[in-house]
This record gives sequence, C-alpha cells and structure tokens, in this order.
Amino acid sequence: MSQARTKYSNTAKLLTVLPTIFVLVFVIAPVANIFGKTFRDVSLSLLRSGTIHEIIWFTTWQALVSTVIALALAAPVAFCVANFRFYGQRLVTSLTGIPFILPSIVVGVAFLGVLPSTLHRTAFALILAHAYFNFGFAARMIGNRWLQIHPYLDDAARTLGASPSRLFSTITLPILQRSILNTSLIVFTLCFTSYGVVRMLGGPSRSTIETEIFFRAMQLGDVSGAMLLSVVQILIIGSLFVVSTRFGSRDSRRASAPTISRQRRIDSTAKRFVVGLASLGAIGFTTAPLLAILIRSLRTSAGFTLEGWRSVATSTDLWRGLSTSFVYALGTLAIAVLLAIFASTATVFDERTAAFISVLTSLPIVVSSVSIGLGVLVTFDTPPIDWRGSQLMLPLAHAMIALPLAVRMITPVLQSIPAPLRQASSVLGANTWQTWRNIDLPIVRRSLVSAAAISAAVSLGEFGASSFLVRQNNETLPILISRLLSRPGDILQTQAFALSMILVVFSVALIFLIDTFDDFTPTNRAASDA
Amino acid sequence: MNRTKTRVGLLLTVGALIFGACNTGRSTERNDATGDSTDQDQTAGSTAPVTLKLLAYDSFTPSANIFDDFTAQTGIKVEVVLGGDAGELVTRAALTAGNPEADILWGVDNTLLSRALTARIFLPYETKNIANLDEQAQALVPNNEATPVDTGDVCINYDVNWFNQRNIAPPLTLRALTSSNYASLLVVPSPIASSPGLAFLLATIAEFGEDGWGEYWKSLKQNGALIVGDWTTAYYTEFSGSSGKGDRPIVVSYASSPPAEMIFASPRPATAPTAVAALTCFRQVEFAGILRGTKREREAQQLIDYLTDVKFQEDLPLTLFVYPANNKAKLPDDFVRYSLRPESPLQLDPDLIARNLLMWLDQFTNIVLR
Repeated sequence: MSQARTKYSNTAKLLTVLPTIFVLVFVIAPVANIFGKTFRDVSLSLLRSGTIHEIIWFTTWQALVSTVIALALAAPVAFCVANFRFYGQRLVTSLTGIPFILPSIVVGVAFLGVLPSTLHRTAFALILAHAYFNFGFAARMIGNRWLQIHPYLDDAARTLGASPSRLFSTITLPILQRSILNTSLIVFTLCFTSYGVVRMLGGPSRSTIETEIFFRAMQLGDVSGAMLLSVVQILIIGSLFVVSTRFGSRDSRRASAPTISRQRRIDSTAKRFVVGLASLGAIGFTTAPLLAILIRSLRTSAGFTLEGWRSVATSTDLWRGLSTSFVYALGTLAIAVLLAIFASTATVFDERTAAFISVLTSLPIVVSSVSIGLGVLVTFDTPPIDWRGSQLMLPLAHAMIALPLAVRMITPVLQSIPAPLRQASSVLGANTWQTWRNIDLPIVRRSLVSAAAISAAVSLGEFGASSFLVRQNNETLPILISRLLSRPGDILQTQAFALSMILVVFSVALIFLIDTFDDFTPTNRAASDA
Repeated sequence: MNRTKTRVGLLLTVGALIFGACNTGRSTERNDATGDSTDQDQTAGSTAPVTLKLLAYDSFTPSANIFDDFTAQTGIKVEVVLGGDAGELVTRAALTAGNPEADILWGVDNTLLSRALTARIFLPYETKNIANLDEQAQALVPNNEATPVDTGDVCINYDVNWFNQRNIAPPLTLRALTSSNYASLLVVPSPIASSPGLAFLLATIAEFGEDGWGEYWKSLKQNGALIVGDWTTAYYTEFSGSSGKGDRPIVVSYASSPPAEMIFASPRPATAPTAVAALTCFRQVEFAGILRGTKREREAQQLIDYLTDVKFQEDLPLTLFVYPANNKAKLPDDFVRYSLRPESPLQLDPDLIARNLLMWLDQFTNIVLR
C-alpha cells in the first residue's frame, strides 16, 4: 500500500515538471519581469493621478454591480432548474451556458447590436453585458449546489410548519451560502478583468484597468504606466484569491446528489407561471443578442444586404484571419490538453502535488490575459530570446490562459476513478504507464475531448493577450473584428458582425461538444464547485 | 465501432494539421520574404524574388504602379502594408523594435519623431539624394536617423460654401474656434492615434503656451468639438466639404487638402470649395526609415533611395497631397495654383516635444477624452 503511494508520488512529481516549466516561462517570468521593471525603473507618480483612481474605482464598482445583477438573474433560473422537472429544461440549461463560453469581444459586439447607439458608451451597457456573460455560469453553479440539498430536508421543514420564505432562509440559504460566495468571487474576478466587453462598449470615458493597460502600452506609448497598472491589478486579484482560498478551504466536503431527486413536477398554475416566465426570460435574454448579431450582419442603413457576408467570403485578409485563428486554436488545444493531462494525472496521484498544481493553474487566472500579453511583449524582446515575432507565441499564450479550464475539466473525471482499479492493475503486473494507458485513458478520453473543445474556444475568442502579440500577418478573428469596428463604414460594420456570427457558431458548436462529452452530473461538478 | 470513431478522429486531426501547416507555411513564407532570409538570398541573382515590406499609415495612397519602376530596376518587389494611423504605427514599431513587422516604415512625422528615435526603431542611413532634400527637414535628423520624404502643413480647413450659404464669417484663428458662433462645427482627429491630430494639438500648445492650452481645449470641448479616432474618419466622413458630406464644416486637415478637392472634383468647380485658415497651421515633416532588425538592409537602402528620387517625389503632391522633400521635384501646376504655403506656420522645438509628448498626451486624454 505505502509502496504504491511512493511509486505514484514520484511519478506525480515527474509529471509536474512539464506544466511547471511552461507556466514558469510564459506566465511567471513575464509577470516577475513586469514587477521587477516597475519597482526598479517606473515612477509611481502615475498612481497619484486622479484619473487612475477613478479608473480603479470604476473597475471595482462596475464589477460589484455586475456581480449582483448576474446573481439576481441567475437566482430564478437556478431555482427552477433545481426544484422542478419541466419540458425544455435541458434546453434552458444548455442555452444559458452559451454566453459564458462566447468570446468576450462577441458579447461586446452583440450588445453594440442590441442597444441603441445612445447607450453605447455607458456604464449601463457594460454592466448589462457583464451580467449577460456570467448569469448562466452562476445559475449552473448555484443550481447544482441546490440540487444536492436533499428534498427530505425541505419536507421536514414544511412538516414543522415553515413557510416558503422561512424554509429558504433557514434551510436553503445556509447550505447555498458557500456556493453563492464562491460563484460571486469568480464572477467578480471575471468582471474586474473583463477586456473584450469593455473595449467594445466602454470607450475612453469608461475605461477599466485592463483596457487602460492596453491603451497606455499600445496607443499612448507609455509602457511603464501600463506595467504599473498591471502590477496593481495583479495585486488586487491576487489578494482576492488568497482571501477566498482561506475561506473556501473550510468547507471542502464533497456532497453527492441525493438518491431522491428534488426536481418535482409542476403542480400548480402559479408555479407554472413562475417557471415559464423564468425559463422564457432566460432563453430570450440569452438568444436576443445573438440574433442581433445575425440581423446586423445582414443589414445596413440601406436595408437588407448580403454584401457583408459576400465580402467576408471573398476577402483574402479575412480568410487569412480565419485560418490563422483556426491554426492557433489547434496549436492551443494540443499544448493545453497535453499539459493538462500531465497536471491532472499528477493531481490525482499525490495530494501534495495536487495543492501545488491547483496554485500553478490558478496563476493564469490571477494574471489576466492582458498582463500575460504585455509581459511576454516586454520580456522576450532581446536576442537571443526575441520571441515576439514567433508564430508559436500566441498559441502558447492562449494555452496558458486555457490551461486552468482544461485541468478543471479532466481532474474530476480522473479523481472519480476508484483507487482499487489501479491497484488491481498493478497487482496483475502492469507498470505505471500500462496502468495509465489501459485504465485511466479510456475513462478520461471523453473529458479530453471537452478539454480540447474548451481550449479551442478560449483560443478562438482570446482578445486580451492577442491585442499585444498579434503581428501584421497573423491577425486573429477577434483582432480583425475590433479593427473593422473602429473604422466607419456600413459594409465594414456588417463584416464585423458577420465574423462575430462565425465565432458564435463555433463557440456554440464547441459548447454542445463539451456538453455531450463531459459527464455532466452533480457528483462530477461538485469538485469544481468548491 | 470504437475503432472506426478513433480512425475518423485521427483522420480529421491529421487533415486539420495539414491544413494548418499549409496556412502557417504560407504566412511564414510571407514572413520569410522579409524576415528570416538566409545569407544566400542576399546575393544578387538569387533564385527567390525579394519582397520588401513597406509599412505605412492608412492614408498612404501613391499611384497604383509607382513601384513598378523600382522593381524593374532592382528586381525587388515592394509590398505596401497599411497599419492604422501614424501614432499607432510608431507605438507598435517602438514595441517591436529590433524584431520589426516590416522592412521600412513610412509616416513618422516630426511630432512623433522623438518617440521613434528614443525607441531606436530605425537604422541610420544616408540616402544618395541627401544633397537635394529640404534643409530644414534635414536639420531634424542630423545623424540620418531617418530620411525626410515630404513636408506639409496641418491647418484648419473649412467648407466655404457652408459658411457662404449661412452668411457667417469663417474662423480664421485658433482662438476663434472657441467662439459660440462656431459651436458644434469642429471635428478633430484624436492626437493619440493621428499625426495631423497631434500636429493640431502641438499647434495649440505653440499658440497658447504650455500653461494655456489646457484651458483652450476645455473651451473647445464645451463648444461642442467632435473628437474622432483618425483623420480619415474626420475628413472623409464628418467633414461637410468632402466626399462624406458630413455635418461639420470645420476640420483639422492639411494645407494641401483644398487643392485635392478642386482637382478631383468633376466637374471642376469655379472656386475652391474648401479653404485653409492660414494662422492655424503647424509645419509637418514626414520621414521614412529602415526598421532596425530587418534582414534586408541593403535592399531597404535601395528603396529609401527610390522614395527620395525625383520620380517618386513628383508623384506625391497629387496622391498624398504633400510637398516633396526633394527640391528637384517639380510641382504640378494645379497644385501650385490651388494650394497655400503658409509663410510662418506654428512650430515647436523638437526637444521640447521629445520631453513632454507623453505628459501632453496624458493631459489631453484627461481633459478631453474622459
């Protein structure tokens, strides 16, 4: 028994080498370089500027408000999905998951299409888009946790005479509390470091830290200021994460779904009305912006036209952008899945490496994609390590950003393999590699597909790091879309919407792939819920 | 069943990788053409045709076949890549200095020169036409860090017909623009990305001083001035006197824009449809240079020579609407007849610009854009 553990923990340590090297070189080194350069050379006077204070304040409060609204929108959906069984439930769940996986620039573009132009550069548009982005994810997380509350708890409370509100406040809410908190933290981080949405809907008067970093580095020419802001952002998000892990580690009990489902049939008109309203509202809210993209890609001020799509099909620039994005997505998924397999297997084999891997794969989230892009740009810029122009740079940066997600897709599945299976295999004489190939791999194969799909989705839509690292010949789709939208001209706008539609189609296809191949049961989701 | 799925999956992956490899090959070929050439390619009579990449701002529109002569003489092809407005170009060039995206950069002007030189984006080169180039322009680059290619003036342009129809006197000075007579009539390209926009900002700094320009811009903003991202939008979309037929009859553009409106209108109007407010002009000099890190330095030098040669320079007035830097280049009659060369345009000391540019742009962003 102890011999097996030693054997696996050695393997685990070996397996962490490759992911560690990659994260070290492409995430930690650039960030350390930014920190180093900032504390050595850069004057901190920028921090005293009132405008920067305003930007930091704006970033914070818009993230807070977006989180609250996202949760408010998620609550009814979670309530319906967890407590009722109704026709179209799967559809609601799948559809509300779409916005989360959409590229952020597409969400920005979608709201440019939905909202009238008077609302385009307002905080309202930003907050609405952020809520749109995240409410499905929040609904899923909270809904799953709710599903794990045994229905008999509710029944017991009702038997003792609790009114529905009393039930909620004394039974449901305390159990859901941790999940709500964790979800809020993730949503807040995403809204805080949101880039694509703010670039499209914000404008110079509605700048967040992320877009300000881009503006300073790539337009104003003030790289030092950009690095300073990057440091501030990483410190803020980093401390949030530290605080959350302190709180989160208290309740790590993994609950499993009760054998009796709490999803009941709808038995009253009032409930039917509520559920119907919530589901239709959720579906409507999710699909309206996507429809807006489609419509705007077919219409100019002159009327209905296919010119946008036609020019996309015939323009060499746009085809090059498409193929570049496609190739980068392939590269990203190859690198990310490979590293994720190593990391996940190491997690499962040994507990201490599990903690290490968890920190390692959280780093790319703490360091936002914009900081990774800026870091790579200012770090790998002197020969012999002048990799700025290398074709591999973007897939590598994308892979680092996708790695956390890929690992979180594969690890739960690997963890669900009972240890006796592996022990049986080694009793029968298989070495570690044979065990892995014959036991782990077949079980984990399906989640590899989902990990690949999510890495591809991240790469296709990645905008933050790409804004810094894209060069003349290898523009990706999101960059092309933002360029098209920054120039006036009806046809250019329709082209941008057409390209966004292509991204939407790919993202939706990928999410359906993920939903099919990922074992979406509450037991497996519990691991990522904590 | 499983085997078939695996085989199909494998086939798709291999197919996709091949497709991807072909496309990567294509784009790396393009990169190779300018970047990763081996020594063999540099010798004369090489097997592969050499292509130089010329990176310029979006409004770089010389005559269609202007580089054919160059290709005929030297065998080098020229690929023109448009990369946004001058400000963007220079910032990106600064960030990629030493590992450039192209071989030659066209469009750094005297307002952005300091940024370009600090980042050392260029390789010094003394062109063979140096004796004929404008002396004042040369004085800005005493060590041949870049090569002047054209000069011009950035001025307030106004729509003559618009003002005539409403019987209003057009604005003739910078101060006049803040008057309520001209409320919401001005469109300005942002100095952040656009070099004429930046030239205009510097003109206001030259006119009102380092302490007064902030107030001036606050008044402009209160008076309804529209700031747009780039010059092309300002001139060709928002300006009422050009093809966009926009709403705003006052725009920041070039002293040579009125000739363009005259010469390219059909039928030719009797009088110039737009005019220039001569007291608002700022002298602009544009440079081109070889990007440091290019693997085709010798070919790039030949292209710089060509860009300063009489033939190319004589094409500039009627395509880019600038004055050639080469004194030997003849100006077309139409151009001379309809253009205005202000005698004493506003100017700022290049060292002053170099030291304060970032601070001014930062302040501008705070005052006007936020």
